[in-house]
This record gives sequence, C-alpha cells and structure tokens, in this order.
Amino acid sequence: MNLRDAVEGKEYVVRQIDTEDEDLNAFLFSLGCYSGEHITVVSHLKGGCIVSIKDGRYNIDHQLADAIII
Amino acid sequence: MRIALTGNPNSGKTTMYNALTGRNEKVGNWAGVTVEKKEHPIKKAYYGGEEQLIAVDLPGAYSMSPFTSEESITSAYVKHENPDVIINIVDATNLSRSLFFTTQLLELGIPVVVALNKSDINEKKDTKIDVDALSAKLGCPVIRTVSTSAEGLKTVVETAVARANESQLAPYSEGNIDLTDKKAVENADRERFDFVNKIVSKVETRKVLTKDKNSDDRIDAVLTNPVAGILIFAGIMFLVFQISQAWVGPLIADTLVAWLETFQAWVGTLLENANPLLSALLVDGVIGGVSAVIGFLPLVMVMYFLIALLEDCGYMSRAAVVLDPIFKKVGLSGKSVIPFVITTGCAVPGIMASRTIRNDRERRATAMLSPFMPCGAKIPVIALFAGAFFDGAGWVSFVMYATGIVLIFLGALLVNKIAGYKARKSFFIMELPEYKAPSLWGAFKSMCNRGWAYIKKAATIILLCNTVVQVMQTFDWSFQVAETADSSILASIAGPFAYLLVPIVGVLSWQLAAAAVTGFIAKENVVGTLAVCFVGLENLIDTDELAMLEGTGAEIAGVIAITKVAALAYLMFNLYTPPCFAAIGAMNSEMKSGKWVWAGIGLQLCTGYTVAYLVYTIGTLVTAPSTLNVGAAVAGLIAVLIMAAVIVCMVHRTNRKIKEDYALAGNQAAMSR
Amino acid sequence: MVDVIIVAILVCIIGGILFYLYRAKKRGEVCIGCPYGRQCTGHCGGHGQETKHKKKH
Repeated sequence: MNLRDAVEGKEYVVRQIDTEDEDLNAFLFSLGCYSGEHITVVSHLKGGCIVSIKDGRYNIDHQLADAIII
Repeated sequence: MRIALTGNPNSGKTTMYNALTGRNEKVGNWAGVTVEKKEHPIKKAYYGGEEQLIAVDLPGAYSMSPFTSEESITSAYVKHENPDVIINIVDATNLSRSLFFTTQLLELGIPVVVALNKSDINEKKDTKIDVDALSAKLGCPVIRTVSTSAEGLKTVVETAVARANESQLAPYSEGNIDLTDKKAVENADRERFDFVNKIVSKVETRKVLTKDKNSDDRIDAVLTNPVAGILIFAGIMFLVFQISQAWVGPLIADTLVAWLETFQAWVGTLLENANPLLSALLVDGVIGGVSAVIGFLPLVMVMYFLIALLEDCGYMSRAAVVLDPIFKKVGLSGKSVIPFVITTGCAVPGIMASRTIRNDRERRATAMLSPFMPCGAKIPVIALFAGAFFDGAGWVSFVMYATGIVLIFLGALLVNKIAGYKARKSFFIMELPEYKAPSLWGAFKSMCNRGWAYIKKAATIILLCNTVVQVMQTFDWSFQVAETADSSILASIAGPFAYLLVPIVGVLSWQLAAAAVTGFIAKENVVGTLAVCFVGLENLIDTDELAMLEGTGAEIAGVIAITKVAALAYLMFNLYTPPCFAAIGAMNSEMKSGKWVWAGIGLQLCTGYTVAYLVYTIGTLVTAPSTLNVGAAVAGLIAVLIMAAVIVCMVHRTNRKIKEDYALAGNQAAMSR
Repeated sequence: MVDVIIVAILVCIIGGILFYLYRAKKRGEVCIGCPYGRQCTGHCGGHGQETKHKKKH
C-alpha cells in the first residue's frame, strides 16, 4: 500500500519510493525518507497529508504520497 | 579569516549571522529564507584576536548534493572557496536529519565546529543530548547555542578561531566509490545514515516523540483545513492591509504629513524674497516631492512590521500548504505563495524567493507574476489616489490587492498556454517548522531597517528624479524659462506617451504620462512627480470638484481634473505594469533566460494597459456614457485587440509545437514497435 | 544673498546624492536605491554555471 492509505498516527516502514525523478529521490533520501526508514502520517488533508520523518514535519501532496510505498 | 555558516534549512544560520555581525538580514520561520550567500565581518565583542573574521552566511542545505539552485550555492562554496573554518549549525530538535549533512562536511578536511542550535526548544521538550559524547563521536567540538538570544555564540567563535589551522578527521568516510554508479552512491549514503542513526541513539534521549500529535498539529488541523484555512489566509492578509493602510498607518501619517507641510511652508516664507525659480526648485521640487513620498512612510512601515511578524511565526509554510491545491490548478506551486506574500513588501526579495521552487516553468512563472502583488513602493500611489478621489476609502487598496491576485491566476493560465503546459507530475513537499511566538523586537528591527532603506531611496533616487522633473518642467528646449508648463522640455518628452494614456484617463495629460514614466525607475516617483507637476497634490482633483471650483471662479491653473473612473484606471495602470528596474533586474537573474524576461515585461505591460483600458471604458460607459472619448476608446480597443491577437498567435504556435512533439513521439513509438 | 544660499543648499544636496550614487556604483551595486541591491549582484555568473553543471549529471 502507499502512504495515502496509511492510518493516522501509526508508524510504517518505507518499502519503496518511486517518483521517477532521481533528484527528488535523492532529496527525500537526505531528509531521511528511504526504504527501510520509519514514516508516520500525522494527518490527512484534502490535497495531501502531513507526515513525520525522523524528527521533522513535512506536508506532501497526494502525488508524492502515492509514490511512497509502505 | 573566513568562517562559513552551514546547516539544514531553518536551523537558524541567518539569525546567528545577524547576531555575530550586527547585520539585519531577512530571517523567517520556514525552510529557504536565505537564497543568497552573504558576507560581513564579525563583531569584535565575540573574540579577542586582532585578525578580522568574516562570517559567510549560506543558504540551508540538507546534503552536499543540491536539490534546488540555492542549495547548490552552499555546496559550491564549501567545496571550492576553501573557508578557513565551517560552523555547522545543527538543529538540535532534529539531530537525526541534521547530522547527515554534518558527516559530509566533516569529510572535506576543513575544521568544523558544530553549533547545537535551538537548545532552548529541546529543554522545553525535555530532550537531552549528551554534548561530550556527540563531540567525541564526531571528532569535532560541539557547542550548545541559542541563536535568538546569542547564547553560546562567543564560545563558538572562539573555538572556531582556535581550530583555524587544524585538520579535520572524518569520523565516517564513504571511501573511494564510483560517483557515477547510482547503486554504489545510494549504498554509501545508506551506510552514512546508519552511522548517524547509531550516534543519535547513543547521545539523544527523547521524552516527546515527534510522530505523536502535539498542540502544533491541532493548530495545523485548522490552518490547513481546505475551507477554513483559505478563509483564515484571506482574513490575515486583509487585516495586514487594513491595519497598515486604513487603521494604524494613516493615523501616524496624518501627523507626519502635517509636520512636513509646516516645514515646507516655513521654508517657503524664508525664501519669499528669493528668485522665484530657485525657491520653486527647492520648495516644490526637492522638499515637496520628497515629503509627498515620505508622508506615506508610516503606512509602509506598519505593513513591514506586520509582515515580519507573519514571517517569523511559522505561518508561511502553512499558507503554502493550504493554497497548493488551488495554485496547482493554474500550474503554479504552493511554494509560489511565499514569493507573492514577500512581494507585498518589495518585489525584489519576492522574486528572489522564487528560487526555492524547483520546477523551471513554475519558478519562472512565479517570478514573472509576483510583481502583480502591489509592493510597498506602490502603497503611496494607492494611498494618494484613494485619498484624492475616494475619501481615503479602504476598499480601494483591497480592490487593488484582490485584482493583483486575480491577475496572478489569469496570468498563470496564460503562461501555461504560451509556454506549453504538459500535465507532468509536479511533486510538492514542504517542511512544516514548529510555531514560535514572533519576536516583536525582531519585527521592529526589520521594520526600521526597511523604513530606513525607504527614506534613503526617497532622499536619493526620488529626490534626484524630482529635481530633474522640476528643472525640465521649468525650462523649454532653448533653456529659457518656459512661458507655460505646456511648452517645457518635460511636456514635449512626455507628450507622445500621453497619447498612449488617453484611452486610459480620457484626457491628454503629459503630467500623468511623465509620472507613469518616472514610475518605472521607482514606483514612489509617481507620487513625487505628480506632486512636482501639480505643485502640491491637492491640485490633483476629480471632475466634480473642478465643477465646484469653476462655479466659484477659483484659480484653476495647474489643476488637472480626471474622473473617478479614470483615476482608478490610471492607478491600476501604474500598479500592474512592470514595478521598477530593480525588479526587472531580479527577474532577469532568477529566470536565466532573456526570452522569459522579455515575455514577462511584455506580459506585465500588456496586462496593465488592458486592465486599465477595460476599467476606464466599461466604467465610463456605466457611470457617464456621454463623457466617453469615442475616438480614444476605439484606438484603445484596437491596441488591446492587437495584444490579444499576438497572444492567441503564440498560444496557437505552442499548440502546434506540442502536437508535433506528440506526433514525433508517436512515430518513434511506432518505429520501435 | 538668499539666492546664493539656495544655490549652495541645492548644490550640497545634489552633490551629496551624486557622491552617494558614485560610491554605491563603485561598491558594485547594480540597482542603486534598492535595499536588496547587494544581494542581487554577483550570483548570476558562478551560480548559473553550477546549475548547468548539475544538469549534465
């Protein structure tokens, strides 16, 4: 499943990230978002969701949420 | 000796830089405030030595491999410019992410001092970091700091100076890997993160886990709610403009204007016996022109203060989040909101802020469209017209900002049509910083700084322009005193432009044309030039008042009367045409494409003209159809139609090109089959 | 007499401004009068190349 179906507040492990954009993959990597790392959806919004990666909060849109497989 | 400040975005580098150097660079609570390298000597109070220390503030970066163009400034600087020491500012609230970059910096061989910033927030959350253990693991000094209160900065600088000529051993080295081999690089990075995670698990003890919901999330739930969030954003922006331009600002401005007028009158009486030309140059040209601009300073300063508060509290990222879905529909990104909001202060930093947008087309469109948001220099123009024609009504400024937003949306759609919008994936990711109470002192300093810049500009460029305008208005081409202003140099130069303005204001007025032209140098000039040309702004009146004046047989020389509708149209023309040379320069450096810059200037000119024409023509047809100058209206219509035709032509060409591309792709696909 | 004083004041003001502009130009500010003038400058060259460099990868 991908991040969009994640339950709020539950910690998941990222299995795969497929954005078809190497630079973006590398960027997400530098934030600590890569396969094997933990990720938690704090809340779902209309256009995207708020996630917690390591000790930071980020907003990502649905397109990106779809590309993160957990 | 050069000390580079590096670290993740929003870790407090510029705050530290400001504390160290006494500068007043822009700070804010979101990732990507600083988009440019800055250098300044460090204050002597922070170290004992004789040698001059230069602090170099760099844009934030998450790693050595740049993602957006401002990050590339940072990696290029530390790699190629060999700073003597690197101060790595680490966000203590997010150690696990920050140390990834730290370990990369440690590999460069340049001595590193780690400043564990935002330590105060950690104390509040009861998160403990073992500084000594961290220092031992990293192999470099680690010092607890709080940038906002300058705590620990002296120790950081002293340690940095002491380390200047030491070499730095890397605690973790990825060794010789083939950088072209993606797999190898990724594996090396993974090992690096594993190394960081091990350190963090040893030195950090957390009571509050970040993944748990906290009070910030409850605020976020409201602020990022698709309906309430947008209403709140609109409400906040409305309040900012209302407070600065209708409630608090004018209160102070009225007093200031009274003082300035008294001063001007006092100088006037002193020079009663002087040569009338000279005294007019000093009293009307220099003092009158500048004080007309300075008089609006309180409005601008109050707004600077409010915007600084807004930028400091952490709301900007939330505004970007809540508006992203809307902006996506017109092909922009939620991140475009930040440049747009900053532009309400000044278009130049606004355009520069677009650098954090990664997609080229989105970035260029944002840089091109952000000048439609009226900036601080346009406030005097708005306030002047609102005061002279509409009794200072608040709705005038509100309508100007609202029209600006509408134009941004329409412009974005147009840019998509012309530049060929392909429905490609555009991902949005935005860090949400923790909220913090905005610093009143910081906002006050920012306000004074920008207010001072405004005064400096008024006293130099604007004053010079006003003097030139006054001289050109006084003399004719044979350098004799012009009999009437209409035979002056200024009138003959601005005359041709005045014809262009007839469809917008309904009358042929070289004064209005001259003001619009000087406005391209700096928008405040519109106010200054009008003040000079009409010998005081009270002579800029509307036609109803003129009728009254004529009734009483008053002296009406030098008075230009235009209708209320024309005033509105002229105001819009000034607001939505290119803001000033500085902004065009900023557009040029952000877009990195001459084609886009010219397209941007063209779009802004066409938009300003079209909007103003439509407002005047339709407005006049509704209010007083008999006064419409039919010839001018037809000429204007032709001009607007030509612009529209050019745009349609360009859209058509783009469509054809896209079709060709698709056809080509289709053929290739067919061939490969 | 008054005229001489006015001329002197005007010369002082205009001269001061021109000197200020000259100094600013010498310091390398591209857009004088813009509070962000100094930040604008000098980034077009090296920084632009860096982006091109990145694209090659």
